[in-house]
Amino acid sequence: MSVIGTSLDRTRDVDLVMGRGRFVADVDRPGQLFARVVRSPLARAALGGVRTEAALARKGVAAVVTARDVPDVRIPIRLPFATTPNAERVLQPLLARDYVRYVGEPVAVIVAEDPWLAEDAAELVELDLDFGLESAAVDLVAAASDASPLVHPALGSNVIDTLPVFCGDVEGAFAEAEVVVRRRLTVGRHTAVPMETRGLVAEHDPATGRLTVWGAAKVKHFNRGVIAALLGLDPEAVRLVEVDVGGGFGVRGELYPEDVLVPFLALTLGRPVKWIEDRAEHLVATNHAREQVHDIAVAARADGTLLAFEDTAWCDQGAYVRTQGLLPAILPGAHLPGPYVWHAFSVTSHAVLTNRTPVGTYRGPGMTEATFVRERMLDLVAAELGRDPIDLRRRNLVPADRMPFTYDLGPEAPPLVYGSGDFPGFFERMLDEAGLDDLKELRSAGRKSDERIGIGVAAMVELGGIGPFEEASLEACPDGTVVVRAGVASLGQGIETALAQIAADGLGVEVGRVVVHHHDTDDVESGFGSFASRSAVVAGNAVAVAARALRERAGETLGVDAAEVDGERDFETLVSVGEMRGRFDKEHPSFSFGAALSVVAVSSETGRVTPLRHVVVQDVGRAVNPALVHGQLAGAAAQGIAGALLEELPYDEDGNPLAVSLADYAMPTMSEVPPIDTVAIESAVPDNPLGLKGAGEGGIGTAPAAVANAVADALGPAGVAVDRIPLTPARVRTMLRDVEGR
Amino acid sequence: MKLPPFAYVRARTVDEALALLGEAGEGAKLLAGGQSLVPVLAYRLFRPTHLVDVDSVTGLDGIAVGNGALEIGALVRHARLERARFDGAHRLLALAASHIGHVPIRARGTLGGSLAHADPAAELPVAALALDARVVARSSRGEREVAVGRFLLGPFTTALEPDEMVVALRVPPAAPGSHAGFREFAVRSGDFALASAGVVVACDEQGAVTSARIVVGGVEPVPRRMSDAEDVLIGELLRADTIAAVAGAASVSCEAVGDRNVDADTRRDLVAALVRAALIDVQAEVAA
Amino acid sequence: MSEAASGPRWHDPDERVAVEVVLNGLPTTLHPSPRWTLADAVREHGLTGTHLGCEHGVCGACTVLLDGEPVRACLVLAVQAAERRVETVEGLADGDELHPVQAAFREHRALQCGFCTPGFVVLAAWLVEREPEADLERVREVLSSNLCRCTGYGPILAATLAAREGNDA
Repeated sequence: MSVIGTSLDRTRDVDLVMGRGRFVADVDRPGQLFARVVRSPLARAALGGVRTEAALARKGVAAVVTARDVPDVRIPIRLPFATTPNAERVLQPLLARDYVRYVGEPVAVIVAEDPWLAEDAAELVELDLDFGLESAAVDLVAAASDASPLVHPALGSNVIDTLPVFCGDVEGAFAEAEVVVRRRLTVGRHTAVPMETRGLVAEHDPATGRLTVWGAAKVKHFNRGVIAALLGLDPEAVRLVEVDVGGGFGVRGELYPEDVLVPFLALTLGRPVKWIEDRAEHLVATNHAREQVHDIAVAARADGTLLAFEDTAWCDQGAYVRTQGLLPAILPGAHLPGPYVWHAFSVTSHAVLTNRTPVGTYRGPGMTEATFVRERMLDLVAAELGRDPIDLRRRNLVPADRMPFTYDLGPEAPPLVYGSGDFPGFFERMLDEAGLDDLKELRSAGRKSDERIGIGVAAMVELGGIGPFEEASLEACPDGTVVVRAGVASLGQGIETALAQIAADGLGVEVGRVVVHHHDTDDVESGFGSFASRSAVVAGNAVAVAARALRERAGETLGVDAAEVDGERDFETLVSVGEMRGRFDKEHPSFSFGAALSVVAVSSETGRVTPLRHVVVQDVGRAVNPALVHGQLAGAAAQGIAGALLEELPYDEDGNPLAVSLADYAMPTMSEVPPIDTVAIESAVPDNPLGLKGAGEGGIGTAPAAVANAVADALGPAGVAVDRIPLTPARVRTMLRDVEGR
Repeated sequence: MKLPPFAYVRARTVDEALALLGEAGEGAKLLAGGQSLVPVLAYRLFRPTHLVDVDSVTGLDGIAVGNGALEIGALVRHARLERARFDGAHRLLALAASHIGHVPIRARGTLGGSLAHADPAAELPVAALALDARVVARSSRGEREVAVGRFLLGPFTTALEPDEMVVALRVPPAAPGSHAGFREFAVRSGDFALASAGVVVACDEQGAVTSARIVVGGVEPVPRRMSDAEDVLIGELLRADTIAAVAGAASVSCEAVGDRNVDADTRRDLVAALVRAALIDVQAEVAA
Repeated sequence: MSEAASGPRWHDPDERVAVEVVLNGLPTTLHPSPRWTLADAVREHGLTGTHLGCEHGVCGACTVLLDGEPVRACLVLAVQAAERRVETVEGLADGDELHPVQAAFREHRALQCGFCTPGFVVLAAWLVEREPEADLERVREVLSSNLCRCTGYGPILAATLAAREGNDA
């Protein structure tokens, strides 16, 4: 029986429940110094000078560096398809020179004997800041206008690029429409906020010339290359080590200024340097996400057939473009059509600079925003037509017999190809799981007199499992273990367990033998890393390829077919083969269907929204480890629900961030998260031998949309006012009050 | 967010604490449970030069009952107040305490600390005001009592002199047959209240209200009695329509200001909802 | 912190103070400065299972027991723990044998990244022992003290309830 598909325990769990995890703050190196970043207190100012004498004079301070002391380099964009010439002009320096462009921008670094002294000294650094007469560019849509102050004057505009996506004859489709609904929809700024902040420990060994950095994550090999290049080192001399990681969700592991500064300091000072981000810093220094405004029009026929949509989007990038390039503005275009048949559509997406923390990719980037926009519009169209929103979706979901389904995006762009999946069937599966009829009864009955129950749904197609490729190696060792090496990253999602299962299945050995090495760039030559729900799909298949190669070679030795090789019985033969490599190329991304249904109770009196239940389904192709998949779906859904109702990173008009603590930034406690039912649908997947699709992000993409639609449903006639998230009690109460006329 | 530098001393008695406060001078601050002060220090919003730790001072953790009156020591932890079995309207203290933060906060936070900190959103000041309580403050010059309404002067501002510490809260006997209710609105479990309502109501044998205290917190700079709303209630029976009228009166008379969390109109709506809910709680108790 | 019979002594901000505690059952002397929190001090002592998630008392990742009550170790000054009992996550297991709550967390997959886990495990272990009769609402109320970003909380609740059931046996 295959071990793929079993909910194997994760090997790391015992240590973690005992408090024996080793997170970067737990890493100490002899003789280490502690770094503290001095950050800009203003959103926009000319930086005249940085006076460090008082700080340097402090006892215990080893160094204070500013822009002139560090290489004048820029944090590069990682993904080739996410960059443009303009984007390359607004990259972030390691430390601000001449200008500061967001509150929190690194300006100097103190290095001292302990973190208390470092923080004391940091307060003594004086910045000559002149904010002049122009205000900061804070409001997203206003920042895109010609009248706005410029974040990067040399660029001439705050619109870095405008990215169009076109399919079919939009004008023609609108001409034949029997109803057109237009709306402006807003996704509020929020982000990942993992429970562990960022941190790094860097140490240079003068004897070997090697630089070791602990605390890496997500995309270690890319980061190693960049750090080496920016510091003038041979990549072979740089070693990045991932220790236990307290969540990533897309924001940890990307290259930030600190990722170069801390190693630089270790090199320069000749002592290990440790930097642990504190929470106040984290909220202004680590990538923000999600903030978008969409002006969208949807054209349909009276019978509920969708014809076309036309969308103009403003997507915030913050004050600089960082490693993820223009992805926040690129991804919505690919995700707006969703799992529906449209005759035509167009998306005009503006990537906009503002004087605020730079924006990166937070779990389900682009797809969460786009799904909220589109799914909200479907409910508004349904309301306009007097039709049931669930029926409207049933009517328009891509039928199974039209797979593979292609949207031709013209000569300049690759087509969107939905490879497989019975979308209507999966959608029904979700409604069954939710028990729709019972829910409708619950809604009519209401819970208490002033509470209204609402039901909302959303569906999407997630782009994941992206290539270009991964390589893995397998080696059966004399000590009885099987060592897997793969260039992925563990962020807490359990990828090492999934890969172990794939390896064990591939070789026919007991899974307990398998050890997965992914932590250390010394151990694993290369890898593209863990993001876009790609690790199980791409690295997993690479492991399977390596396993098959190993098994075939063993078969040759034994003079039998590979299928005859019994990994346990023939373990010694496996050992004799030595290390075998496998590579899996993934040319096209995978598209997997996801859907959610949300039930909420809204208090008319106070506007409080209480989620009662959440159902999420995702087509995962095949669940290597069902428990891990369910964990991912539920955790993602919880984040999405919080994004719909609670989390927000507001700024005042001068660009000062207003959410500066975890008391302000309202992540949910157990009391704010409803019971979440997860269904991992398995389906035939032709584009990879293991039949996998990504599972890490689907749970979040549909959540804000489903919750917002549920709130609108609960509000009844007032519900058409729902056009933004988060739906805080104040916003909901205001919508109700406007309708009540008080 | 490492704490800023301060000189530190631990006091064993009230007299010692007062002497040390005097020694330290202007930049000194008292530290008890730390649930309010330590986060402020972590953000370096406030830089005391000296911390006088009174967390282990003896003699301040008693709850004394005499002739229906209460004297509660300043170091009584919220968790203890929450579990205390008070009579009649005094239960308001336990109700209010049960809403403070989370269990681990209540394990450390103290009554004296909460009163001295005077957070406009805090629960115990609301309860103390609704019960006509008096703060007992002591300095090397002696002891004095200040009515809660005159003790709380503004956000995070009290009538406490720099060389004084809160040693107790004295609560007069509750009117016979009086009941209390407390409700607050917070976005998440454990969050600061966006608004709160503490009510104390006494009824005669026919059920007509003979006295009422309706205190709203979290809305104005300090908790305040909504006397217009109280007047509506006097002489009336506790019925749905009266309660609605009282809630409406409280909502109209409170001076709600909008902030980034909630606009003024919604704040007023919350006041109405909370006063109504607290009075319904009382109504249920009266009926029982 | 031992005090001279003549009266209390002021300590300078970065002066190390000897603080006697009973740490996971063992009499221990910590040497924090007055501005170290209890979380800082236990970590410095080598017990790094107690994590700093926010350092301002909201997330609960630093939860320990102080004289048997769950507290935010980041809000207690280390010097305030003098002469008290401190129990961290490291004190729960018996050698390599997991505490029933730890075993339940593992079985119910109540952790993913593991960063919030020690705080939750300490809190849940306290709840299960101190309030075995707690109803569902009370269990949820108590567990709402801490934040988790990975699991969506369902498995944490299930694990705690299961551990409580196990206790009845």
